[in-house]
Formats: sequence, structure tokens, C-alpha cells
Amino acid sequence: MNRLSVLKENGEKAFVAYIMAGDGGLDRLKEQVQYLQEAGVTAIEVGIPFSDPVADGPTIEAAGDRALKEGVTLEKVLNEMAGWTFEVKVPLLIMTYLNPVIKFGVERFAKQAKSAGVSAVIIPDLPYEHRQLAETYLKKEDMALVQLVTLTTTEKRLDAILQEAEGFVYAVTVTGITGARDEMSNDVRTFMRRVREKSPVPVYAGFGISKTHHVDLLRDDVDGFIVGSAIVQAFYEDKIEDIKPLIEAVTAPNPV
Amino acid sequence: MTKVKICGLMEVQHVKAAGQADAIGFVFAPSKRRISVEKAAELAKHVPAGVDKIGVFVNAALEEIERTVREVPLTMVQLHGDEPDELVQAISVPVVQAFSIRTTADAEKLGRSVADFVLVDAPGTDYRGGSGHVFDWTLLAGAGIDTSRLIVAGGLNPDNVAAAIGQTQPFMVDVSSGVETEGVKDAVKIKHFIQKAKGDSMQETIEKVGFFGKYGGQFVPETLMKAVKELEDSYTEAKDDPEFQKEYHHYLKEYVGREQPLTYAKRLTEAWGGPKVYLKREDLNHTGAHKINNAIGQALLAMRMGKRKIVAETGAGQHGVATATVCALFDLDCVIFMGEEDIKRQQLNVFRMKLLGARVESVTKGSATLKDAVNEALRYWVTNVEDTHYLIGSALGPHPFPTMVRDFQSVIGEETKRQIVEHEGRLPDTILACVGGGSNAIGMFYPFLKDESVRLIGVEAAGEGTETEKHAATMTKGTEGVLHGAFMKLLQSDSGQVLEAHSVSAGLDYPGIGPEHAYLADIGRVEYKAITDAEALEAVISFSRLEGIIPALETAHAISQAEKTAKEMNKDEILVICVSGRGDKDMATYAEKLEGLA
Repeated sequence: MNRLSVLKENGEKAFVAYIMAGDGGLDRLKEQVQYLQEAGVTAIEVGIPFSDPVADGPTIEAAGDRALKEGVTLEKVLNEMAGWTFEVKVPLLIMTYLNPVIKFGVERFAKQAKSAGVSAVIIPDLPYEHRQLAETYLKKEDMALVQLVTLTTTEKRLDAILQEAEGFVYAVTVTGITGARDEMSNDVRTFMRRVREKSPVPVYAGFGISKTHHVDLLRDDVDGFIVGSAIVQAFYEDKIEDIKPLIEAVTAPNPV
Repeated sequence: MTKVKICGLMEVQHVKAAGQADAIGFVFAPSKRRISVEKAAELAKHVPAGVDKIGVFVNAALEEIERTVREVPLTMVQLHGDEPDELVQAISVPVVQAFSIRTTADAEKLGRSVADFVLVDAPGTDYRGGSGHVFDWTLLAGAGIDTSRLIVAGGLNPDNVAAAIGQTQPFMVDVSSGVETEGVKDAVKIKHFIQKAKGDSMQETIEKVGFFGKYGGQFVPETLMKAVKELEDSYTEAKDDPEFQKEYHHYLKEYVGREQPLTYAKRLTEAWGGPKVYLKREDLNHTGAHKINNAIGQALLAMRMGKRKIVAETGAGQHGVATATVCALFDLDCVIFMGEEDIKRQQLNVFRMKLLGARVESVTKGSATLKDAVNEALRYWVTNVEDTHYLIGSALGPHPFPTMVRDFQSVIGEETKRQIVEHEGRLPDTILACVGGGSNAIGMFYPFLKDESVRLIGVEAAGEGTETEKHAATMTKGTEGVLHGAFMKLLQSDSGQVLEAHSVSAGLDYPGIGPEHAYLADIGRVEYKAITDAEALEAVISFSRLEGIIPALETAHAISQAEKTAKEMNKDEILVICVSGRGDKDMATYAEKLEGLA
């Protein structure tokens, strides 16, 4: 994950792509990762489907349901990734709800994720207070537990979370769930600036980023963008080429 | 309050029994309780977050200590040898240094230790690290010990620990042989010791951290953390405010119509031929079930927090109706999420909610029942958290919900306790209540938890049978996991996907159970049984005809189990059933399922 800091030092913006593992069948995961890294993304979040994804909007929930119907599990995803022989050029992250990890065994998860080439984990329903549950085991394997901060995170909490932040900090742009939106609230820029001033690691904006005008709006206040629903939907509809302008809008050298 | 450490643990079952302690100890020095680092790492997985894991060493090298800290992992280290100050200071985690105390001079040495904590122990005999002999407490008196870093050990047991705490007021007490039987740890003694050491403040401890044993917690997205913390603070404050309590009880009396009778069921008693049966009449509440007790309490709290918008989920519709009712009463905006499947089978309640001015949102995702309604209500709350209160209907969800809902429902058990003494001059022998999420049951049971003579039975839904895939018997068939903000028991697949529950009763159709119930099952205080759809429907008929009370389908599960339990009881015993609600809402189901009833 060190290369994320290098990127920041060079003044370049990161593009983190989220995909739902097994949407359309688990064998598609490989080609999706290959496509995205060729398209120039900075890192890839591999989402694990869950029956009750309360932080997600309809697009990702539907993709998760499709993956579950394909019989996709955390174990199968990790095995699939561990078996890859092509060159993985970008950091891979796992984004999963807590319950599949608990059922799998946190320690076992940490070990197998490491063998699968994962460098960081995001667990949206594991708040800072309970982070020990996973962090202890992830640290042993030298993996980061990426923390989320949101518009409702109090100043005191923000300080505490940022003090221990690793990899990057996932700054949520909306008070709500994941999913594409047209407009961003005006508080978002102020919030991003506040987080970035204090953060020792790069700050990436996520939730609702789907249009180039979102990127234009926040470009100067963040170190990168996380795009989920828009990519998931594009892969589902076989229109992934449509995402290229968004990736380019982020990763292209600053036009100014 | 004095913390409790259980030391020398070697077995998973004892680590689990020590789940309510503040710290547990693993011995890595020569001792009959010595374990390997690998074994300790295995046991450590069963220790709840927030409980300290302390490794005990005698004259070990720094490298060995640090390696063990990493591998287990340990949160503290305890030293029993002649470790130099440089070693104590070099250790990366907080250190406890142990001293054998024979004289007042020994006691004075404690004050000079550079460790974070000092532990006093009776002089060792066979092994260094404590002999288990009783320590003379008076040696500590007058030695000017800083009790905020004092840990007392040596010869403590459940009978003397309260006295030891009273005399020394230490930071922590440490026990090992005092909770053993014939040299082996004893789960019952461990629990007993913790209970005695913590006295009546046990419940406060639980509430403080938001866990019941290892169950509970606040497993919610970051966006909700501020609201959950605010709620926790507001509730803590309101709970102790006499004005708030007065207002809550005012509405219970003047609006809900409490107190409700504890009716002696004469014909049922005769028919079953066993114990005297009493019925706690929650069916007589305004809106027809116990749910309104909680809805009133939470609505008052929401207004106190300045929130005038309410979101809620509902299964059978009773909580939805109770919420819509209080929202009408207090002029609050109200959105209710309800599974499409439940909307079909509880149409009367849907219309009641609409008539009361609530917006009812149909949930078509997943199994389209209660679990999915909670998901949608949580998503709505995440999106509208700044001005909306989530009025959760059962003893579920992130802390403080399970505690708060229990407290608002405890009026059921409190009244019952007073009433049964008025009727019979003593406490009942057995109490039964149905369990979905578990709010009427926890409200009924909670005031009786410390009355060990009272047998408590929670009754869950076995649907078409616990041997089939169509049931909601979380206690019977569930395993540990996280759902809707809490660590609890769940019906889930091998890969951690939450399964769909099934019950003819919409109110019990939930694949999880409140965290406090999971804890009460683990410590053996409450038994949980399962009743099938068919058994519940039979109970509906017999109960209606014997007592002239048509029960809700949920309640019928408790009644059916009561009939079974009554068969094992004598005529001079007393059994209480919590009649959580009346059956009007279930008339369509009854008409369909009992068609041709003669």
C-alpha cells in the first residue's frame, strides 16, 4: 500500500475500482481485474457478497444477490485469487461485511487473504471501537484495515480514527448508502478538506462517485476516488468501456 | 469498581465462563496451569473484545515475553520473578509485577515498583506464582498503598472476595485455585466468583460497554455511530431522570391502560391438571400487545433528543401499529418498513397503521419479512440520521437498543412480581414467554433473573419443525454471528450468509435473537424451547375455548410449551405465561388454517 503514498507525493490522483466478486460467475473476476488494471486504475476492491448489506444501495445489493445465486462465498473468492497466475499490477483489497469473516474465522481469513495477494481489508460494519476484532490478525499478516470516516463522524472520533489510519482513509461523501447520484452536497468539499488536513495517509472519496463532474468538484480536496456502483452496473450491462472517461478524468495529469 | 481477573485458564469452556471478567490470565511459567503459546493463541480467540489477556511469566527473557505478546496476542504481562526494573520498563504492553507479602516491610516494597500495576499474593510454596493460601489483609492496611494500581490475589474464592474488596478496594482481584474443583477450573465457580466480586453492579458493567458476555456491541456503519453514541448518552441520562420516568409511567397508566392484571386461569389449570396457571395480560394494552410499552418510551426519548421523525420496522405489524399510534399521539412523522410477505398476512395491521397516519413502505427484497424490513429501516436511518430516530421494536440492534428496549419492557416482569406475591404470597416456579427478537420475554424475565428459584423458559418458533429448513429456532439451531448491529446467535449458512427464517407467526419470523437472550442461554439462566406452527395453532383453539382469550400466534407458542412444561409440575406449583398479545391481527390466518373448525 506504500505506493499509494508515493502517488500522493507525486500529486497524482488515485482511482480505486470496486467490483462485486462473482457477479456473472466467479470466473469473470479474473478478466475484470485484468481489464481494470489495463485501464489504469490504482487499486481494486474485491467485494464479497452478503445477504444483508445494510450499507449498500440497490445496485450493489442486486449484484451481491446475483453472486450469491452463483454460489459465491468468501472462501471461493480467496481460493480463486490465490490461483491467479497473471501479473497483478495493482494493490488488491477485500471489502466484506463482518459476518462472513467471523464465520470463516478471522485469523484464517487474514492468513488466506494474505496468500491471495490482498494488501488491505475494508469492513463497513466494523466500527473503530471494535476494530481489534480484525486488526490484530490483519496486522500479523501485514495487511491494513482501512477505516471509513463520514459526514457524521465527530471531530474527536475523526482525530482518533485518523491517528491510526493505514493505507488510505475512506471518506464517505454522503450521509447514506452506496449508489450512483447526480448531485453532491456542498458540505462535502469542506468535509474532505478537513479530513485531508489531518490525515497522515491519502484520503479517497467514495459512495456516489459516478460522474466526471463529481471528480471535477472534489479533485482538489482529495487524493483519490473510489467508484463502486457505476463499475458494478457497467460490468453487468457489458458497458465497461463507458467507465474509461471517468478513470481518465481521475488519473490524467491535472489539466490546470 | 473493582475489576476481576480469572487466572490460569487452560480450556475453552472456562475461557467462555470467564467472559464476564475484565481480564483473563494465561500461565507461561512452570506450573500445573502452564500452557503453550499456541494453546493460548487458540484460547484467546474465545475472549471477548475489551477483556484483557494477561500472560504470566517468571524470570523470562524480554525476547520471549515480546514474542508471546505478539503471538497470542496479549494485552498485558504479569511478572512473578526477580525481574529487573529495566526489563519491566522495556516491555511494550502494561506490566503487572507480583510481590509475595509476609510482613509490613514487604508491603512497602510494592510502592517502589516501576510496573504499571502491583499484585500482592500469599508467599508461594510449590511454584512461584502463588500458592492459593489466604492472605492476611491487615498487612496492607496502613502501608500507604496506591489502590488504583493494586491487584489482590491469593486464596480468594466466591465466599471471601466481597470482603477482600471491601477491605482493600483494589483496582483488580485475581483468582485461580479459588474457582477450581479438585485442581481443575470450574465454570460454575468462575461465574459465581465474578457475580460475588461485582455484586449488584454487574448489570451496570454490562451496560457500560454494551455487551452481554460476548454478545451485543455496536456493529454499524460509521455514518450511524454518532447517532448510536448520542442515543446511548441520552438514554443513560433519561433513565436516571425522575421527570422522564414520571412521564413514561404517566402514559403507561393513562394511555396504555396499565397496570394489566395477572389473571388466574382456572379452567386451563384444571384442564392441564398440573400447576396453578396465571396469565400476564399484555393483550389488554392499548393496540393489543406489549409493543406499545417500548414505543411510548422511545418516542419520549426521541422528542427529548429533538427528533420528530420516526422510522421503524415491523413483522406482525404490532410494533408498527404501536409506533404509528404513539406518532399520532405525539404528532411525529412516521415511516414503517414491512416485508411484502408480512403485509399480505397482516392486512388488518397495515390498514391500522395507514389510518393512524403512518407511511407503510413495502419491502420486496430477500425473504420480504422482518429481517429485510430491518435492513431497509437501517438504510433509511443511515440516510436520514440527522433528524430521525430509529424506533426499533425488539431487544435487538446496536447498543443501547437491546438494553433500552428491555428496560422499557421490564414493566411486564415488575408488575408480575408484585402481583404474584399479592395473589400467592410467593414467587412463581416457572415463567414462559415467546421469543422472536425477544422483547416481551426479556421484559418479563429481567426482574426475575436474580431469583434463582424461578425457572425461565423462552419459546421460539420451530415452524414446520427444527429438523426441516423451515423454522425460526435461532437458539436451537443458530450459531454466533453479526446481524443488524449486534453480535448474537443467527441462522446462517456455512459461508456466513443469513438464512431466511420461517414461522406461521410473522412476529417470530426472524433469523436472529436479542444478544441478552444469547447470553442468558450461555450461562444457563434461561432455557429455550421450540414449538411448531401446528402446535401453536392447536394452542390457539384450546386457549380461546378454555379462557375466552384469543391469543396472538406468537403468544400461542408460549402457551403450547406451557402445556408441556405443566405436565412435569405439581399442583402446588405456580406457572406464569406472558400473554404478549391478542389474536385479532391473526384472524385471517386462523380462518384459513383452521377452516372447518367444529
